[in-house]
Amino acid sequence: MLDIDTITKTFAGAPAVREATFTVQRGELVCLLGPSGCGKSTLLRVISGLTDADSGQIRIEGADVTAMQANRRPTAMVFQSHALWSHMTVAQNVGFGLRVRGMPRAQIAAKIADVLDLVGLSSFGKRLPAELSGGQAQRVALARCLVVEPKILLMDEPFSALDAHLRKALREELKALQRRSGLTTIFVTHDQEEAMELADRIVVMQAGRVEQFGPPGRLYRQPQTLAVAQFIGVMNTCTTAIQDGMARWYGVDVRAAMPPGEAVVLCRPEDLYLDPNGAAATVTRVIDLGPVTKVNLITPEGDLLTWTCARDLAPVQGALVRLMARHLHVFRGGNLVGRIEQPDLVFQEGAMT
Amino acid sequence: MSDLAQMSAGAVRGPAKRTGHGTQAMAGLALVALPMAMLLGLILWPTMRMIGATVTLEDRIGADRYVAFFGDAYSMANLRFTLEMSLISALTALALSFGIALYLRFSAGRIATMIHALSLFPLFVPSIIISYALVRFLGPNGLFQLLLEQIGITQYRTPYLTPVGPFLAFVWENLPLPVLVLSAGLTQVSDHAVEAARDLGARPLRILWEILLPQTRRSLLIAFALIFLGILGAYTVPYMLGPAAPEMMGVYMQRTLGNLQDPDSAQVQAVVLMAIASVVGGFYIATMLKSQGAER
Amino acid sequence: MKRSPIGGLLILGSMALAMIGPIATVILWAFAIKWRYPHLLPTEWGMKYWFAMLGRETVITPVLTSLALTSISTTAAAVICWPAAYAFARLKFPGRQVMLFSFIAAQAVPKFALYVSIAVVFLRLGLVGNFWGVVVVQMLSAVLFMIWIPTAAFRGIPPALEEAAFDLGASRLRVFVQITLPQALPALAASYVLAFVSILFEVDGALLIGAPTVTTMPLLLMSLSAQIIVQEAAVLCVLIWVPCFIVLLLTRRFMTAKGIAQGFGV
Repeated sequence: MLDIDTITKTFAGAPAVREATFTVQRGELVCLLGPSGCGKSTLLRVISGLTDADSGQIRIEGADVTAMQANRRPTAMVFQSHALWSHMTVAQNVGFGLRVRGMPRAQIAAKIADVLDLVGLSSFGKRLPAELSGGQAQRVALARCLVVEPKILLMDEPFSALDAHLRKALREELKALQRRSGLTTIFVTHDQEEAMELADRIVVMQAGRVEQFGPPGRLYRQPQTLAVAQFIGVMNTCTTAIQDGMARWYGVDVRAAMPPGEAVVLCRPEDLYLDPNGAAATVTRVIDLGPVTKVNLITPEGDLLTWTCARDLAPVQGALVRLMARHLHVFRGGNLVGRIEQPDLVFQEGAMT
Repeated sequence: MSDLAQMSAGAVRGPAKRTGHGTQAMAGLALVALPMAMLLGLILWPTMRMIGATVTLEDRIGADRYVAFFGDAYSMANLRFTLEMSLISALTALALSFGIALYLRFSAGRIATMIHALSLFPLFVPSIIISYALVRFLGPNGLFQLLLEQIGITQYRTPYLTPVGPFLAFVWENLPLPVLVLSAGLTQVSDHAVEAARDLGARPLRILWEILLPQTRRSLLIAFALIFLGILGAYTVPYMLGPAAPEMMGVYMQRTLGNLQDPDSAQVQAVVLMAIASVVGGFYIATMLKSQGAER
Repeated sequence: MKRSPIGGLLILGSMALAMIGPIATVILWAFAIKWRYPHLLPTEWGMKYWFAMLGRETVITPVLTSLALTSISTTAAAVICWPAAYAFARLKFPGRQVMLFSFIAAQAVPKFALYVSIAVVFLRLGLVGNFWGVVVVQMLSAVLFMIWIPTAAFRGIPPALEEAAFDLGASRLRVFVQITLPQALPALAASYVLAFVSILFEVDGALLIGAPTVTTMPLLLMSLSAQIIVQEAAVLCVLIWVPCFIVLLLTRRFMTAKGIAQGFGV
């Protein structure tokens, strides 16, 4: 449906997007996720046509639209600032795209009524944008795009200016609406919770590069790059070296069938479990978060660890515990070299006796 | 979209950012060309030409006319009068507006709103109107005198046709700008910041100088320069309200050019005034550049 | 920094006297037929002098001259300045900052001295005492309002507003006409009104370039104010200024304190 093909965009010498390539399926909701300045908004603007790419191609339904101006592309964008025109009523705002297309008045009115109904603002047509709340304004902005029936809906952090409660509510509304309409949507956000909740698939971007593209769960459980692993969720990071098929992990050796060399070994806090032969660490703090308990630890070498567990498993502060991990993610040079599932401990001679 | 619409959409380039840099630069320069030409043709060129003309004598180039100007006691008296008037009026306007702005900063309610509105009122009154109004208000047997006599004060001596007349008018006219600047600057400082300072034992004057003023100081300097320059080049107010002698430079130049039909001398007077203004103006421009640089 | 209503009332009272007093005097005079010392207020009221003034050709002609001259100068200034303001706000071209800045810096030139230099040039060109000479000079007083306020206004329009329209299929021209222009219109109107009023009451340029053949309303006012019959000048003041004041008040909404201060580079 939408092909992003080696798109590169440079601003005054500083690359904003570097060779971004991925394909979005029809009806899919894809989130562009990354920290601010990672190029996600620039990429969205390139897709919309508001910004020109330096190189690369954008194809919609197979047709090359790279040279096409924003006003001719079958995309419609919802801006972060909602960008409603303050001199027009809600209905006039929503009808703008239809008037541009030269649609007859009666038909426009009917369409406006339909789409306002869809976003739950049927009685707001005569209001001015200044008389709307933040959430209502963003709904109108969405309606303004939906009404022109774009092939692709683009949303640039549309909810980030709203308070947390409203953001969550609108997110669910949007997801339901998108499911029902089957409208291909690209949604930019820096909020991973938002991305995980909304997206069918997520494009994680970092420093202008697409780091990984996949369903939310897979990004979390199978990060392909160190950047993705560290950006999404929490990871315990252990810098180590692999030698003779073994890696030293917080003072214990685990079997690692990988080529030797420097490596970074990561594990999720919830993947840790108590194991009498595991790595030793002292509990520095126990935080009861309600559904889970977060335990902060420090190893004899001074490395910090976080472990989340059920409340009844939590040790007391100052206790010495031994921990093992169910999964270890091993990275080298920022890229995944392998994953160690249920790692085997390699017992040291002293421990054997 | 119809074919026609597509064609026209294709013909017009995208938003400014998309347009090629060359095209955009050409369009930009073309659009600003006329106002720029006005600036050059009506300010730069006449000024340059005038400076040249004042040193061009019949047979040679020389500063004789300036020597004559600076040697003439009457001209010098006028110049001194103008400078003193500009300085004193500008400082008084600043001081008064300072008091008003401070009052506004620490009060709320209807009285403060009305004071604020009144202090901005001169923005809406042209020079010629206020000059005439002050003549009628402060002049002999004017309303002010009548009011004073109502409460038994009979020794009123009118400032009309004395240096106090234009002074009062200048202060009146120039109150709004510093009030705007100062009250904007003072509201930037939160009540908490002031309270914190007071909590630490700072006296009101110290709070004023070290907490409230630093953000405003630059704007104040700019406001002072603007007011000073405005008064320096004023004509209407001193003509309507001022004494016959000494005259302010505006009136003096007009009389020299219009009544005495002596453009040579008038131009010398104008150049001298511009030279003095350029010192303050240079300072104004430098301060402004600095504050704009700080914003960006 | 204590709060005492008496202090506030005292300031308010003296401010009211200083600000309103002079204007009130003029308004009283305009409707007075007899106001002799030592009466606090006119002893005989009426609009006698209004009818007298409005019927006199020496009054009507300058007023019409002023209105024509001001309309032409202001409109011409708008025509050349507004597009420039748009360029300053939205386009990138070499020297943009310097040029924009020079419009503010032009304020540092003492006005009357400048008009002397222009008058000497215009004298040679035969533009002194010429209607069009005055028109050109008056445009100069409009330029600042007409560049700075609209530039700030165009700059203040979030680019997303234009982009949203463009993105929905509007052509560049349509975006400008239906989005940019309506958004900037209040500020453009305000700049027009401000320039109009300041030109209408401008004395210096009109005096040096226009006199004696082109008599504008302010010049008439000046000559009337020197006459014995006080009411004539007062009537003219009220007649011309009060409508201007009302219109200016209406535009005040679009002239925030910040906007005014910015115009002076503060």
